[in-house]
Amino acid sequence: MRRIIVECDKCDGCKNCSAACMQAHRETDGTIYDLDLTDPKNESRNYILKDAQGRYKPLFCRHCDEPECVKSCMSGALTKDPESGHVFYDETRCGSCFMCVMNCPFGVLKPDRVSKSRVIKCDFCVNAGGEPSCVLSCPKKAIHVEEV
Amino acid sequence: MKYVIVGVGVAGIEAAKEIRKKDADGDILMISADAQIHSRCMLHKFIAGERDEKGLDFTELDFFEKYRIHWKSGVRTKKVCPEEKEIILDDGEHVSYDKLLLANGADSFIPPVGDLRKASNVYGLRNLTDAQAIVKEAEGAEEVLVIGSGLVGLDAAYGLLERGKKLTIVEMVEQILPVQLDAHGAAAYQELFEKAGVRFVLGRRASEAVCEEDGRIHKVKLDNGEELACDLVIVAAGVRPAISCLEGSGIDCERGITVDSHMRTSQEDIYAAGDITGRSGIWPNAADQGQIAGRNMCGMEVEYTDTFAIKNTINFFGLVTLCVGRIKPEEGDDIRMKEDRTQYKRIILKDGKVEGVLLQGNIANAGTWQYLIKNQIDVSRIEKDIFDINFADFYHISERGEYMWA
Amino acid sequence: MNQCYGCNTCKSADKPLEEFIAGLPLETSHHRVEGQSTKCAFGLQGVCCRLCSNGPCRITPESPRGICGANADTIVTRNLLRAVASGSGCYIHVVENTALNVKNTAKNRGEIKGIGTLNRLADIFGIDEADEHKRAEAVADAVLQDLYLPEYEKMRLTEKLAYTPRYEKWKELGILPGGAKSEVFHGVVKCSTNLNSDPVNMLLDCLKLGISTGIYGLVLTNLLNDIVLGEPEIRFAPVGLRVIDPDYINIMITGHQHSMFTFLQNRLTDEDVKEKARKVGAKGFKLVGCTCVGQDLQLRGVHYTEVFDGHAGNNYTSEAILATGGIDAVISEFNCTLPGIEPICDELKIKQICIDNVAKKANAELKEFDFENRPAVTEEIIDEIVEAYQARRGSVPMNLMKEHGYENTLTGVSEISLKKFLGGNWQPLIDLIVSGDIKGVAGVVGCSNLTAGGHDVLTVDLVKELIAKDIIVLTAGCSSGGIENCGLMTPEAAKYAGPKLRAVCEKLGIPPVLNFGPCLAIGRLEIVATELAEALHVDLPQLPLVLSAAQWLEEQALADGCYGLALGLPLHLGLPPFVSGSKVAVKVLTEDMKKLTGGQVIINADAKDSADILEGIILEKRQGLKI
Repeated sequence: MRRIIVECDKCDGCKNCSAACMQAHRETDGTIYDLDLTDPKNESRNYILKDAQGRYKPLFCRHCDEPECVKSCMSGALTKDPESGHVFYDETRCGSCFMCVMNCPFGVLKPDRVSKSRVIKCDFCVNAGGEPSCVLSCPKKAIHVEEV
Repeated sequence: MKYVIVGVGVAGIEAAKEIRKKDADGDILMISADAQIHSRCMLHKFIAGERDEKGLDFTELDFFEKYRIHWKSGVRTKKVCPEEKEIILDDGEHVSYDKLLLANGADSFIPPVGDLRKASNVYGLRNLTDAQAIVKEAEGAEEVLVIGSGLVGLDAAYGLLERGKKLTIVEMVEQILPVQLDAHGAAAYQELFEKAGVRFVLGRRASEAVCEEDGRIHKVKLDNGEELACDLVIVAAGVRPAISCLEGSGIDCERGITVDSHMRTSQEDIYAAGDITGRSGIWPNAADQGQIAGRNMCGMEVEYTDTFAIKNTINFFGLVTLCVGRIKPEEGDDIRMKEDRTQYKRIILKDGKVEGVLLQGNIANAGTWQYLIKNQIDVSRIEKDIFDINFADFYHISERGEYMWA
Repeated sequence: MNQCYGCNTCKSADKPLEEFIAGLPLETSHHRVEGQSTKCAFGLQGVCCRLCSNGPCRITPESPRGICGANADTIVTRNLLRAVASGSGCYIHVVENTALNVKNTAKNRGEIKGIGTLNRLADIFGIDEADEHKRAEAVADAVLQDLYLPEYEKMRLTEKLAYTPRYEKWKELGILPGGAKSEVFHGVVKCSTNLNSDPVNMLLDCLKLGISTGIYGLVLTNLLNDIVLGEPEIRFAPVGLRVIDPDYINIMITGHQHSMFTFLQNRLTDEDVKEKARKVGAKGFKLVGCTCVGQDLQLRGVHYTEVFDGHAGNNYTSEAILATGGIDAVISEFNCTLPGIEPICDELKIKQICIDNVAKKANAELKEFDFENRPAVTEEIIDEIVEAYQARRGSVPMNLMKEHGYENTLTGVSEISLKKFLGGNWQPLIDLIVSGDIKGVAGVVGCSNLTAGGHDVLTVDLVKELIAKDIIVLTAGCSSGGIENCGLMTPEAAKYAGPKLRAVCEKLGIPPVLNFGPCLAIGRLEIVATELAEALHVDLPQLPLVLSAAQWLEEQALADGCYGLALGLPLHLGLPPFVSGSKVAVKVLTEDMKKLTGGQVIINADAKDSADILEGIILEKRQGLKI
């Protein structure tokens, strides 16, 4: 499968990946220039965490080999695609129980901010060309896609 | 090889999937009382009218065809006969097996109070058939009494609110959701339910419920003498593993079926997973047990080790809560709390380890807590506010790019 | 493998140049575009604030305010005001130096080359002085006095130079500028940490800075230069890398302050100096035009035919010009002198000299222009350049591009020369506009950048789209350098125009794109607009006239743009000026501005869409005029 590989030592914490993610998943048409950065509906699926020493640790969905989120999904909304290996989320099936949020050991998942009815989850940008927008936007090339 | 799985809940379904993955040619037969695959965690959505029966199905499209599984639905298992390596169904059929998985779950527990067990308008909420019956009964009902304010009781109430019913919930403890939440977290939900019109009667238990001539209960008397009128009673007082069919089978049971770490029962070639074992607790564990049972049935040696099950998420009225680990404070606990307009968080620390976490209002990216608690990780060395601890503090990446806990 | 520095150079509208740069063994800005192609989204939207030690703060849905509480609107407009104030400061620096040079020239009874302009200004200013040198000094003094007024005293020449309906509008809006230098001061104070937080208030200040920038920095700089450097005259001239003649000692000039070169320019054609060149084997000295000061020299080229070889290219052509190997020295006095020329100059042993310390380059020798001592300093500069010529010629490989550019490019267009060309008044142009032979006028002005499609890509594509719609294009700034090197300023370019405009051009023997010269000449273009409005008895926003700074680059362009908006003109930008993160700023600039001044900002990076939008505005204005 193809996975986004993270090299945390290269991360500068610019959050361009987060902005690119919001842009790739916005509801409205438009460019990065008019992405509304004050609209809580625009949410990133990736996060730049910091450890106690202040070092940046990018948190991106791993599309795990044995995804805990899928195991915990009681509605069938989360599935691991046997072909691509990616974990996809079907919003229409989701029961909004958020057990997936609780079960992701790395804390990648979260409920959507506004309606608390959906899960905010990386989709590998399948609807935006299949090349993750975050990867394309990283000025430090701290993330890249690799066949693993 | 003939695999027989009793039950089409998550444990049974996951076991079947695993078996098919490992054994492409084996016969898999699933047998269930349920006529429709459904997620028990979404029954409230059916009651509310948000979803139909099909909308509760949690399996993939064309599941049985895709995995080449035979399914015999609408039948109960009456007897398990390890000697003969067969089970007997309530339609009289004898079904033989090479490997048997008992994953037929649990039944609602109706306490022996008054005529609750006898009356025709008293329901538990465990299966789709329960939900269907409640919906039907609710058509003519105005006042609904719910006994028990756990997740199932509140689910039922939440669904029926959508149908415009007048609801009263009786809870024997002084707070709602006593298993999941502390009083403060529970009060937030109580307020939301009350705003929606629900009346709570806390610290009381039902003491009398008389079945009238029509075979129904029209009022329930509480231990303080108060009488609550009702057209429909939902009892949400917990479940009991569905082990009645095991009588005479020689399968060891305590509360539920006793299993070893391989999900094996005391009888050869018989496995058990899910609520029938009385040790799964919630969905992810049932799924895990089912997968592990399935693998072992195929001859693999896999142990069920991730047994931690004291965990839950709650979502009513858009107020989300995550509770993992111990809720009740004990002597010597270091309790940390934070609260603001949008959230309430409480962490129970003991000897540098997190023993319980309760997050209400904002559970974003909170998955790491379960790992910290169940693995009893010492967090005292991390020079951070306890609430700011996250995966960055344990960040490690495997060769295949997966995250690992350092 | 070959010797190319890198094969990922950006596109250029100038294909031969693109190929030339791609083949260079040196790194240029065109090579660096790809490496900088990932842009910080917060920077792009202008919602990153570094005004205090709590920062940088960035606006996200989770953090809609900076630590101090500033929201996106405050952060964006503070950043914009800071940029506009800075840009204004640049132009005010230019006009200040220019006025000082006029004053000093006059005091020393130097040559007055543009008596017509001197008299015109004296007339406007109400200066009645018989002696031409004293008259010139008084004109320069009047400008300088205004520049040095405090912020609370309105500049006196604004009313005299502005079109009356505009002046009244500015007065009504409370945006008449005080002393131009003080306004810059006021602007930078206003947008400092925890001062102003009112986005509209700061945007109005941008307009105010636009007015002082436009009237003083642009309009007056041109006219003051005309006095000492001579007025533009329409003629044909060669452009592009072809202008470099390796038989001469070649000096590339960059900057915006032409009047600083006057003395040197004249000395280079004196016999004794030419002899210095001949002694080392060169035929003499040539100035090679680059950036706006090159455009200015081209514009007035009729007065400098001997020393000026022609304009080679704009800011982002400067590296290529040096890479030809034919340049022996760079003299710079202002922007746009790219820092990226330094390693190239080192590599090719090109002498770098700066004559204004505001533009001191890291490896250049600073020889500050000093009016008093200009003969001595000029001799030193000449000797050092001769030395550089000797040191490098023969050892540095030549990589000339004799075929690049065009031989017959129309230049020398100004508000005076164009009117003269039309027979002494604007009526012929007005008639053509009324008849629809010319649908409207578009000023495609400002800089060149590498990101709006590539080097001059949007600018040139937009110009082609506009002329095809019978809209005549007037240019000023580095945009001109790109457009002329693509051949759109030769009479043959008439074939790209729509049938009506083409007929007009062919009849008059002119291209459909007329070059007014440096960015400073945006001021000239706006004089044309004002005179047209006057002739029609309408206000500026009513004219079928649009502006586009399609490939605006820098802070100065933003100050220019604010002048355009203050004049009430529609202003197209290819890329947003880091404001899109603020809903208030976007609304004020793109919508509310129509009610405030009559202007509006249009942001669009697509040439065809932009041309359609601008045509729509022109048609609307025509309708308003019932033509």
